[in-house]
Amino acid sequence: MNNKEPEVQKRSGNLLYKIKSYFSVQANVLIVLFAILLLVLTIYPMYSVIRSAVTVGNMDSMMYNSLFGLKLKNGNFTLLNFEMLLGNAFTAEYSTSYFWKPLWNSLRMSAYASVIAILLGGIVAFLITRTDIHFKRFFSSVFIFPYIMPSWTLALVWKNVFANSNVGTGVVGMLESLTGICVPAWFVYGIFPCSIVMGIHYAPFAYILIGGTLRNMDANLEEAATILQASRFRILTKITIPIVMPALFSTILLVFSSTMASYAVPVFVGSPGNFFVLSTRLSSLYNSTYSGQAFVMTIVLILFGVLLLGINQRFTGKRKSFTTVTGKSGQVSYIKIGKANIVLSVFLIILLFMISIFPIISFALESLCENQGDYSHLTLRYWLSRENIGGYAVNVGNGILFNKSIWAALWGSLKLSFIVSIIVGTCGILIGYAVARKRGTRLASLVSGLAFFPYLVPSMAFGAIFLAVSSKLTFLRGTMLLLILVGSIKYLPFASRSGTNSMMQLSGEIEEAALIVGASWPKRMLRILFPIQKSSFISGYLLPFVSCMRELSLFILLTTSGTLITTLLSYFDEKAVTQMSNGINLLIVIIVLLVNFTTNKLTGASIDKGVGGN
Amino acid sequence: MPRITLHNVTKQWGKFIGVNNLNLEIEDGSFITLLGSSGCGKTTTLRMIAGLETPTRGEIRFDDKLMFSSEKNINVPAAKREVGFLFQNYALWPHMTVYQNIAFGLETLKWKKNDIHARVAEMLKTLKIEQFAERYPAELSGGQQQRVAIARTLAPKPRVLFMDEPLSNLDAKLRGEMRTELKRLHKDMGSTFVYVTHDQLEAMTLSTKICLMNEGVLQQYAPPLTVYNEPANLFVADFVGNPAMNIIEATARKLAANTAEIDFLGHKGIFKADNAFDLKSDKISLGIRPEFLPISDAGNLEGLAYSTLPAGMETTVKIKIASDILSSVVFGAIDYETDAKIRFSIAGSGILLFDRSSGLLVAKGSISIQ
Repeated sequence: MNNKEPEVQKRSGNLLYKIKSYFSVQANVLIVLFAILLLVLTIYPMYSVIRSAVTVGNMDSMMYNSLFGLKLKNGNFTLLNFEMLLGNAFTAEYSTSYFWKPLWNSLRMSAYASVIAILLGGIVAFLITRTDIHFKRFFSSVFIFPYIMPSWTLALVWKNVFANSNVGTGVVGMLESLTGICVPAWFVYGIFPCSIVMGIHYAPFAYILIGGTLRNMDANLEEAATILQASRFRILTKITIPIVMPALFSTILLVFSSTMASYAVPVFVGSPGNFFVLSTRLSSLYNSTYSGQAFVMTIVLILFGVLLLGINQRFTGKRKSFTTVTGKSGQVSYIKIGKANIVLSVFLIILLFMISIFPIISFALESLCENQGDYSHLTLRYWLSRENIGGYAVNVGNGILFNKSIWAALWGSLKLSFIVSIIVGTCGILIGYAVARKRGTRLASLVSGLAFFPYLVPSMAFGAIFLAVSSKLTFLRGTMLLLILVGSIKYLPFASRSGTNSMMQLSGEIEEAALIVGASWPKRMLRILFPIQKSSFISGYLLPFVSCMRELSLFILLTTSGTLITTLLSYFDEKAVTQMSNGINLLIVIIVLLVNFTTNKLTGASIDKGVGGN
Repeated sequence: MPRITLHNVTKQWGKFIGVNNLNLEIEDGSFITLLGSSGCGKTTTLRMIAGLETPTRGEIRFDDKLMFSSEKNINVPAAKREVGFLFQNYALWPHMTVYQNIAFGLETLKWKKNDIHARVAEMLKTLKIEQFAERYPAELSGGQQQRVAIARTLAPKPRVLFMDEPLSNLDAKLRGEMRTELKRLHKDMGSTFVYVTHDQLEAMTLSTKICLMNEGVLQQYAPPLTVYNEPANLFVADFVGNPAMNIIEATARKLAANTAEIDFLGHKGIFKADNAFDLKSDKISLGIRPEFLPISDAGNLEGLAYSTLPAGMETTVKIKIASDILSSVVFGAIDYETDAKIRFSIAGSGILLFDRSSGLLVAKGSISIQ
């Protein structure tokens, strides 16, 4: 019987049909597409990091050969990078100073910063969501300034204020010039300012995540305890805190890993006091082209990130069981804090002035000083001069407002940020759509996991990886395209997270109702899904824009100083043209705040939603 | 208006079978309810017919046109099936006004502007929501939202209208009103309605035919009164009717082709069926609707008043007899003292005899107590 023949044919036809019908659903197309794309974008960099870590680099060969009497050549396989950095008998001192001590410093700094961020952010979140404190709206909008502004903003301000003639280069800061007080060296540079500045920078992050949970917590949960005659304190410790616990853990871990990877702050207020952390050591290893060891360090940082994310996943996995907290929230009865209200309000106003408003004033003032730190002679020269500002070792150019290279760099940054935010925001929405529609499938968890991967790679290392990539794909080298590519990948995590959050909130029926009347997929996206979640989707565009605008460490290895405003800023800062660098900083801060507030007013989008708060 | 045919339709998720080998023919212009408790596969069935879910196996036809066939690899997308779907939570688009919600489908179908305007106006009028045209869904009450959802679904003149528990989010009074209007709408429109519900009263009052499902398997597909009076098996008997049918375990002995002696509740009776029947075993269950247990002093059975539940128009009396508790429904309000003696009888020709092990209906007839 020739029964078998048609059987086989039917099967293969069936398979083809199955594939065809699988891909007739847009969510399936997207999920497969992003799975492939993200796999490539994760595996390739990881591969190149590991390869570089076990390869003899340019300078490595010279050092290793002279140290150990070897005859290694460029590109040979070696484990010496690991041995050198992580330590063996020959290099104990080296590895202590380049790896173990900085690691210990990184861990301490991250731990302190997390505690500061949680305490500050948590207390403000509690005051704003649970008590009848005054000026809530003002507090909640101004409190997120430090997160919107570049992270080094506060570090620079710290320097501007506390530097004094007894410390470091002896530049006179605001405090000394106004009062004559000289704070001790540990106060100016080192772990103390690093932790505080990082803590304050990420406090808004804690505020957004913890406040979101508190705000969405079903009032009934607390009311039920009130009915059972539990005291306020008991409710706080037994109900409220346990419920925000997952958000708390989540924040700690995110702040911890962000601080581990941060570069700019330890450079500004750490390194001058010989306080080194992994990321600053990483940068000097890259710069000294001991690249093999730099990649070993990158692997360590990524492993830390993976570990922290793993812990975080465990907690947020549990958090799902708490999601009833995002139910219909009734009117929360605010705790009446009575007379403390005025005290706390005034305290908050002062605090917010210090961390959110003062930096702007400080930058403005510094950019007006004829001589750095001398507030008695102010001038608009650095802003308005139409002639070259002389007197420095480098060519500074005209005053900021008439400086062609500043305008060019600013335009470059704006262009880059705009394009990156369009790409990232759109990908975030599409990933969110695909993940939400395919929720529960393996492919969906793969995609949402991979989309978060770039978060684990420190910006500096990310830049280094793509520097290596661009040396292979030479058409990318030094181009805007490369910066766009790097930025787009680096900022995907939060965009895909907020995209997923907002897509999950939409029931499938909302889309099916349009599907059944024959609306095409683009039409369903543009006319139904996007408008409904407009403000959170636009937030998905806003955050990458802001982040890109203020990003330095990601791009610094990949481009020349004149391309972006941040790289130009870093150049002026290095060359100690402080009036210019402060002025440029002011410019960045103002642009970022302006974009944030106009977008917020026009569309209701906000950074909070972009971070994944509610 | 098409006739819808389901042939051996199965839906499987991994090993779990949601709908098992379902065969169904939905006649043109009928009002079909898919009835069952939650998780029985009724919504899945509806979504498969509408094209929102893909069956694992089987065939679905609208008239003679194949909409889905696993054999022939055909799957017409939902949008091309020209059907309407009314969702349980309405799925109104919150960013569009009532007018825009209704007009959206027509715009997608590329209707002319004037036609769209006329049709929307017509729908607004039919559903009595003209005054809300410019409001947003969030500004409407549940009942008004429901009307908008119906208007939106009906506007493109779908050949078939599918409804997934559309009234379950409304309060009892509104639900009653909407039922009346849905039935009226069905008459006026003349299209085929397929309606999912877990509320047997809704199924009874609305449909021309009920499709009762349990654990993915079709139990009975018949007009409501047939389902009520001649349930195909014990599951159907128990599911339909409120208060539920009294199911009494009994033993039976055949006396003649259509007669058997029944031993039940400590009494002996003669069961006389309408037709000849066969008994596979002597273990049977008797099914007696509460309305067939009239209470009167002349009754030949005696029990104790276990509990009395007066509802105004009628009263449900729970009677304890032997080890069973039976329900009886009496017209009007009465109240028995707990544990008072009650005399009652078994009346009418609607007494059902089921085979206990298979659960299948064997015969229908009357009983006389000896």
